[in-house]
Amino acid sequence: MSEAKLQLEAVDKIYNAGGARQVHAVRSLDMTVAPGEIVALLGSSGCGKTSTLRMIAGFEEATRGSIRLDGREIHRLAPAKRNVAMAFEGYSLYPPLTVRENIAFALKSSSLSKTAVAERVGEMAHMLEIEDVLDRYPSSISGGQQQRASLGRALIRDAGLYLLDEPMGQLEPQLRALLRGRIKFYIKERGLTAILVTHDQTEANALADRIAVMEDGVLQQFDSPAHLKDRPANLFTGTFIGEPPMNVFEAEVRADSGRLRFGLSGGVVLDYAEEEFSEALRRTLAQKLRVTLGVRPHAVRLAAEGAPAEVTANQWLGDQTHIAARFAGGSIVTVEHHHAPYAKGETIGVVLGSADLHVFDSQTGAAISHGGALA
Amino acid sequence: MPELRIEDLTKRFKGEAVLDGVSLTVEDGETLTLFGPSGAGKTVLLRCIAGAVDPEDGRILIGGEDMQDVAPEHRGIGMAFQNFALFPHMTAFDNIASPLTAQRRSRDAVREGVERVAKLLKIDHVLSHAPRALSNGQKQRTALARALAASPGLLLLDDPLRNVDAKLRFEMRLELPRLLADQGATVIYVTQDYKEAMALGDRIAVLSDGKIAQVGTPEEIYRRPASIEIARLFGDPTINLLDVVPEKDGAGVFARLSNQRVPLHGGLEAAVGRDCVLGLRPEALRFSANEDGIPVMIEAETPFNEKTVTLVVTARGREILISRPAGTPAPASGAAQIAADATDALLFDRATQARIVPDRDGGSTSEAAA
Amino acid sequence: MDHMSPIERWLRGIALTVVVLFFMFPIFWIVLMSLQTNETILRSPPSMVFEPTFGNYVAIIAGRLDSNVASMGIAFMDNLWNSILLSVGSVAVALLLGVPAAYAFARHKFRGSEEVAFTLLSFRFAPPLLVLLPLSLYFQQIGLANTYLGLIWVYQLICLPLILWIVRGYFEDISPDLEHAYRIAGHSWLSTFRRIALPLAGPGIAAAGLLAFIFAWNNFIFALVLASADKQPVTVGALAFVTASGIQYGQIAAAIVLSIAPTLALALYAQRYLVEGLSLGAVKG
Repeated sequence: MSEAKLQLEAVDKIYNAGGARQVHAVRSLDMTVAPGEIVALLGSSGCGKTSTLRMIAGFEEATRGSIRLDGREIHRLAPAKRNVAMAFEGYSLYPPLTVRENIAFALKSSSLSKTAVAERVGEMAHMLEIEDVLDRYPSSISGGQQQRASLGRALIRDAGLYLLDEPMGQLEPQLRALLRGRIKFYIKERGLTAILVTHDQTEANALADRIAVMEDGVLQQFDSPAHLKDRPANLFTGTFIGEPPMNVFEAEVRADSGRLRFGLSGGVVLDYAEEEFSEALRRTLAQKLRVTLGVRPHAVRLAAEGAPAEVTANQWLGDQTHIAARFAGGSIVTVEHHHAPYAKGETIGVVLGSADLHVFDSQTGAAISHGGALA
Repeated sequence: MPELRIEDLTKRFKGEAVLDGVSLTVEDGETLTLFGPSGAGKTVLLRCIAGAVDPEDGRILIGGEDMQDVAPEHRGIGMAFQNFALFPHMTAFDNIASPLTAQRRSRDAVREGVERVAKLLKIDHVLSHAPRALSNGQKQRTALARALAASPGLLLLDDPLRNVDAKLRFEMRLELPRLLADQGATVIYVTQDYKEAMALGDRIAVLSDGKIAQVGTPEEIYRRPASIEIARLFGDPTINLLDVVPEKDGAGVFARLSNQRVPLHGGLEAAVGRDCVLGLRPEALRFSANEDGIPVMIEAETPFNEKTVTLVVTARGREILISRPAGTPAPASGAAQIAADATDALLFDRATQARIVPDRDGGSTSEAAA
Repeated sequence: MDHMSPIERWLRGIALTVVVLFFMFPIFWIVLMSLQTNETILRSPPSMVFEPTFGNYVAIIAGRLDSNVASMGIAFMDNLWNSILLSVGSVAVALLLGVPAAYAFARHKFRGSEEVAFTLLSFRFAPPLLVLLPLSLYFQQIGLANTYLGLIWVYQLICLPLILWIVRGYFEDISPDLEHAYRIAGHSWLSTFRRIALPLAGPGIAAAGLLAFIFAWNNFIFALVLASADKQPVTVGALAFVTASGIQYGQIAAAIVLSIAPTLALALYAQRYLVEGLSLGAVKG
């Protein structure tokens, strides 16, 4: 059995315990990170992702539960022994040092020769495109450059675990895609283990092998980006992950004479042959009157025979087109990968294939099925 | 609804030109997005139009009337601010009502007007709340409602979606065009997000270092950017830029990438032998099964919204980003071949950074169709 | 982080009590003294046990000071009235002049605006006597000496800089966008000042007004030099208790209680308002 790099077991974090303003920031969190894995903690502000990272870094103690790094309880380890590198959201570069000195500082305690340090700093600067500001002071460079320098200072270390707090939030948009690729290559090539905290799902999707989606201190789902998209565990992850967000409709389930029908508001009925859904799923659905349906925008097909919808917006973004249309008493969004010609006010046919249908429990939000099979 | 004309506008702060001879016309009923990186002068330009900042030089004409000596309150403008700028000591209702009370309308007329826009923006249930009791999305909608309340002829929207979360931003991006069309107003929409600029603008004005760098439809800006800088500002992932020297043989003009030909269409004879930069958008590149593609090594694959972006490196160490719709098959690691869809290739002069316009510009798209 | 054991909580309680006692004791003692006769005050050792008497208050309000040797009239109630008139008058004038000035300094940077603002503040640096000597001569000549108007004018040296500098900071904290938004909505600059700037700087104006009031109330030297007996405030009037036949501690204490009562009441009232104003929050959002 391969040893887990990092293991969180039933971790709770409560601020102001017993006080008037008690905050339960993290609730019974279980999570295991394998060596060489990149994991993202994703969620909106206040979801508990930063508290989790701070506990892993050892800045805060878990109120309950255990956190083990390389099999050892983290709070038993002196900070220097933890061998954790961290890039902070607020950059936290040392102001009296140049960018070069800031990055090299992380190698101070190593036994590398001066030339070796210079070489590694040079490589890092090349990767992060900060070669031309290496001899400047943090206060005289842009926020994006500071963030890249801070990333460099964390990544240059030989650490067992890399913690990156919103590592790319301030990056210049033109550099993002390239740096994501380079950093992922850098981490993967060296087999490093990294945990990044972010509120930006694009960043999480691009970099992480697995994403932990958090909300209200509760881990909603811990899965690969592909599974988060195709098999969301509940309505929250379903609508949180994905850009544009998932289309959601309330529906009435009706099954008769070999057909399974979902009645949407506005008189729209989605009519499928019974065989498109597994028998177990049909039995479950038979007990539900109302369900919530989800369809990803890119799974919405446009075809003449589909249910009619009136185009309200057609926005071409260069490499894809986002189309919104009035549908089933609300609106439906679809993505095309080309310059779609539909004009405002035009009627289009919307086809929702049973294979692309996500069914959620209307009360609990838990996923019932993805495609034709039970979740 | 008025037309807005800006002529040679200049504004300096501490001797430094923030706006440097900006001229721009926004037609009656048009939505123009003003796009540029931060510090380009977008907000200052908007403030000059609103009358909150006085320009040193140049003229602003709204509906043909020079605004030089017209106070902000008499310019007939509605404006939404990036930070919302809601009056914290007034309820949402009073905030939205403020343009109506200024016109000394009757109490009933004010109530009617507020309720009309509040319903339009779906905030009619929070009208009695103070701004601090509103969610971020509601604040943003309240700010927008205030700007729309008096049905101004000219609407200035200063990056109104900047401070709301991704989901809301997306929702509003699809909803805004209908709202603005219903108003019939002339709109200037400032944004730092190129997607917003393309999605919302009938035309886009690109502002860079206090100067207008290009004005055009989203199609023109994306397909025929005036310079490398503009090509880099539009598109995510960013356009691939590769140094080339175009050559010519019997089959036509082409650029050489790792000994493979990338044909250049549209009559670019003038570029032959010059130092150029070839711009290839990530979506114009694809993995090729044939052996005649450009050989590359795959470094990293990064899923990206509904796309997958791959970073590859050529034998000469050039980095290239390729994007494809999510779910389409492609090699994930190791050696591969790529090919360029040359109809969308852009060519820039390396010295001037300007695009080299082909003899038959815009012809490339029809060629692609044929 | 905020985890506290019962012992820590207990110790913190004690520490707070000590601090409160330290600051409240003089006031408490003064109140006790004001309820005693001179004899019980001066006995040795001092004792907390005595028969409370309102004699001191009665004497002060009635305006008759009876000592064991003689009986003389004092004008303490007049002094109190003078204090109120001078302080309220000065603060009112200072607010009227200072708030618009503060707004101008906060919003309109013009050549030399910093210098002008600083000059106004510098009046506070000069020793009051330096200003007073020439002023009293001028005032004699133009007939302002020993008038309420003249005193209120001089009191502006105390009140105006205070209000100007405190309120200016509050105006600067209001996002200019709020005012732009109101102007663009169609309101004149005057109504923008009244409806947006003034209410949002309200807590600051109240705080500055309160401070100015306290400084004006406690002023001694201006009134001592420029006012004769009938215009004197309590600070100067209290000198009357130092009589040839001794110092009337009981009555001084009663006078002090009466003279701090208005400022204390005002501070308590304004504090509630200040907290309310601050919790309004989101001025910048």
